[in-house]
Amino acid sequence: MDYEFSKTQKILKDEAHRFLAKECPSDVVREMAEDEIGYSRDMWQKMAELDWMGIMVPEQYDGMGGSFLDMTALLSEMGYHCMQGPYFATVVMGGLCILEAANDTQKADILPPVCRGERLLSVAWVESDGTYNPEGISMTAELQGDEYLLNGTKLFVPYAHVADRLVCATRTGQRTDDNHSGITLFVVNTRQPGISIEPLITMAGDKQSAVNFKNVRVSKDNLLGQLDQGWGVLKKVLLMAAVAKCAEMIGGAQKAMDMAVPYAKGREQFGRPVGAFQAVQHHCANMLTYSDTLKFMAYQAAWRISERLPFEKEASMCKAWGSDAYRRLVALAHQVVGGMGFMEEYDLQLYFKHAKAAEQVLGDADFHRELVAQEMQM
Amino acid sequence: MDFEFAPQEQAVLKEVRAFLKSEITPELKAESLAIGYCYGGELGRKFVHKFAANRWLVPNWPEKYGGMGASAMLTFAIKEELAYTMPLIFVAAHMAGPTILHFGSEEIKKEWLLPIARGEVEFALGYTEPWAGSDLSALKIDAVGQGDHFLLNGQKTFNTHTHVADYHWLATITDPDAKRYQNMSMMIVDLKTPGITIRPMITMAGWQTNEVFYDNVKVPKECLVGDLNQGFYYLMAALDYERMFPLGHYRRLFDEIVQYTRDTQVNGQPLSRDPLIRQKMAQLSIELEANKLIFFRLAHIIDKGKIPNYETSMQKLFATELAQKIANTGMDVLGLYAQLKKGSQHAALQGQIEHHYRWSVVETIYAGTSEIQRNIMALRGLKLPSK
Ligand SMILES: Cc1cc2nc3c(=O)[nH]c(=O)nc-3n(C[C@H](O)[C@H](O)[C@H](O)COP(=O)(O)OP(=O)(O)OC[C@H]3O[C@@H](n4cnc5c(N)ncnc54)[C@H](O)[C@@H]3O)c2cc1C
Repeated sequence: MDYEFSKTQKILKDEAHRFLAKECPSDVVREMAEDEIGYSRDMWQKMAELDWMGIMVPEQYDGMGGSFLDMTALLSEMGYHCMQGPYFATVVMGGLCILEAANDTQKADILPPVCRGERLLSVAWVESDGTYNPEGISMTAELQGDEYLLNGTKLFVPYAHVADRLVCATRTGQRTDDNHSGITLFVVNTRQPGISIEPLITMAGDKQSAVNFKNVRVSKDNLLGQLDQGWGVLKKVLLMAAVAKCAEMIGGAQKAMDMAVPYAKGREQFGRPVGAFQAVQHHCANMLTYSDTLKFMAYQAAWRISERLPFEKEASMCKAWGSDAYRRLVALAHQVVGGMGFMEEYDLQLYFKHAKAAEQVLGDADFHRELVAQEMQM
Repeated sequence: MDFEFAPQEQAVLKEVRAFLKSEITPELKAESLAIGYCYGGELGRKFVHKFAANRWLVPNWPEKYGGMGASAMLTFAIKEELAYTMPLIFVAAHMAGPTILHFGSEEIKKEWLLPIARGEVEFALGYTEPWAGSDLSALKIDAVGQGDHFLLNGQKTFNTHTHVADYHWLATITDPDAKRYQNMSMMIVDLKTPGITIRPMITMAGWQTNEVFYDNVKVPKECLVGDLNQGFYYLMAALDYERMFPLGHYRRLFDEIVQYTRDTQVNGQPLSRDPLIRQKMAQLSIELEANKLIFFRLAHIIDKGKIPNYETSMQKLFATELAQKIANTGMDVLGLYAQLKKGSQHAALQGQIEHHYRWSVVETIYAGTSEIQRNIMALRGLKLPSK
């Protein structure tokens, strides 16, 4: 076993750290949360120049040809700096759907502009029941001649308002008992007539939308993967993206500790640093445990994905554990910092919100524990 | 990164598994359970000699001291494997031995390491005294140098397995006037030496620990480990090794509880279909996974030639709290049946759950309480101020 990143992964991580410290300080994070667009084109382009858009994309499609674990290193730095924006939607969620399901023509069409930073993606998945389960997918796609006609409403679609293409999960076939078949994925141009996008206003300031589809025409060529077999792709992407989200959490958790622990050393009460009080020390020790366990759960799952080993169980374990661990860690940080941590101007609040948002997206702890139980053949 | 064992480690583990399967008999298990899974019973000794003959007790020691120069990873994996089948605890091989390897003189290494590696001798931990539990700097037992020996007077308490082990891995005060941490020496004392009295103390888990009285006991000076008055540091090192906590035993218990939920019908369906039970079982398996990762991280650090710092305390803390959760969840899942003891009519899982439930209380106390582990993580790991 080896618990360390490779040299090149360390370099990637360090570079990302320096870049984001400069380009994405907390005033930018706050500004983007207020901003309607929610990201800076300028910074996006710089990230593209660093090859971050194509980090996992094979070189034949103008990507960097890196591994999932490489991307983990990058995401943890984004989490550290609480970077919001369409990166996760484009590169992780959209990118993984394309990499998993698209044919060569579709990849050649979609991926190179993504790598250049010219095209943004997202995934339109969840509907009104608010879950990632297959039974929640009821948006219809009806074949009419050479085209499909899409009707329905998707919710919680990340950064749909700036996306150029959406991967849409639709119901094309009969529902089976387990709801697994009859789901089909399409790549849809967001400028297609019949699409309307309404912003949702979120706690963490990340941008999500409701996307309405009214008789939206999509060519057969835009069918992603196989007819009626979309759930397999979605399930795999769900688990991989959940691990990627945990990578973000690693950085966020680290940053929360980097705020709380030095604070406890410097803040004095009763004539000594509050960090000398054992109650506070034990909070900090518990944070350290959450932080380390979250890290290795995520690295292990990411490593398995990179090595093409079975990863389903480890991925769900990681998202279930990470969801709880990150939230609890930030709660402890709040307790350690006291009243100042509750102030809008103090950055801990950014991580408090990020922790909850990260927990809820892509399946919360209960959701993934149930998947773990299934993996345990219970 | 790499989160699997190397092929050569896997090959050894496969042999170990096969060995354990054929060599661990119900009689051996019963004997071992009766003495609290310490090593020293008659059947246990036979088993361990055979086991150790493969160099599996301390595979990461150098060959000249009885190891095979393998990774610490392999040692940890074997410990975990063994714990899954039968949680034998080795003081000499896994706590004192590595300390001797690190701090001992060449003579003392030659004298002790080979017999330890062969599983021929076993030690018992001799730290705690009635007035010195968490604070081991408060020891009082007196060891006065007299010519070629020390003369020992004092009292130890909770010194488990002194009634079955051969030697006492003993912390003594050799310079009562010196400052804290500079007054202590470690010795290896033959438990059959005249003047030593061992009295049983029975635990709520049914097994025995002991109090030990030293009354003018003469201990040859060769029994001193490392330097005089530096024993506190050796003790701390040995404690760290003790805290690297294999959880295989509770992992097996967990597996049996999961199987019970599959096999037990309630309201016409298996318990394992109940969403609440599924959540609880999944959570425990997730925490077992987290523990596995921080357990083998310790081996990884050692294999890199470094000494684990706060990481050891984290794992001991995490593992022992998890042990209690597993036992308590077992009590929940088995419900009223959980209280039935081994031998009772209608007892489920051979009454193991109530036994582990009682036993698990002490996991977060010995080898340093959970509070002490958190202190170490805060002070050593995060460098928080002590005042
Ligand atoms: C079954 C059993 C077997 C044992 N086997 C051995 C053995 O083989 N050899 C051996 O030497 N010892 C052995 N011990 C002793 C064991 O290591 C001690 O019991 C343990 O270290 C705690 O000491 P104590 O019981 O005196 O509790 P105390 O130290 O009196 O602690 C009482 C409470 O105070 C807390 N506390 C103490 N100091 C601090 C602090 N600085 N900060 C915060 N909280 C603190 C503790 O966490 C605990 O909650 C054994 C004990 C038991 C019960």
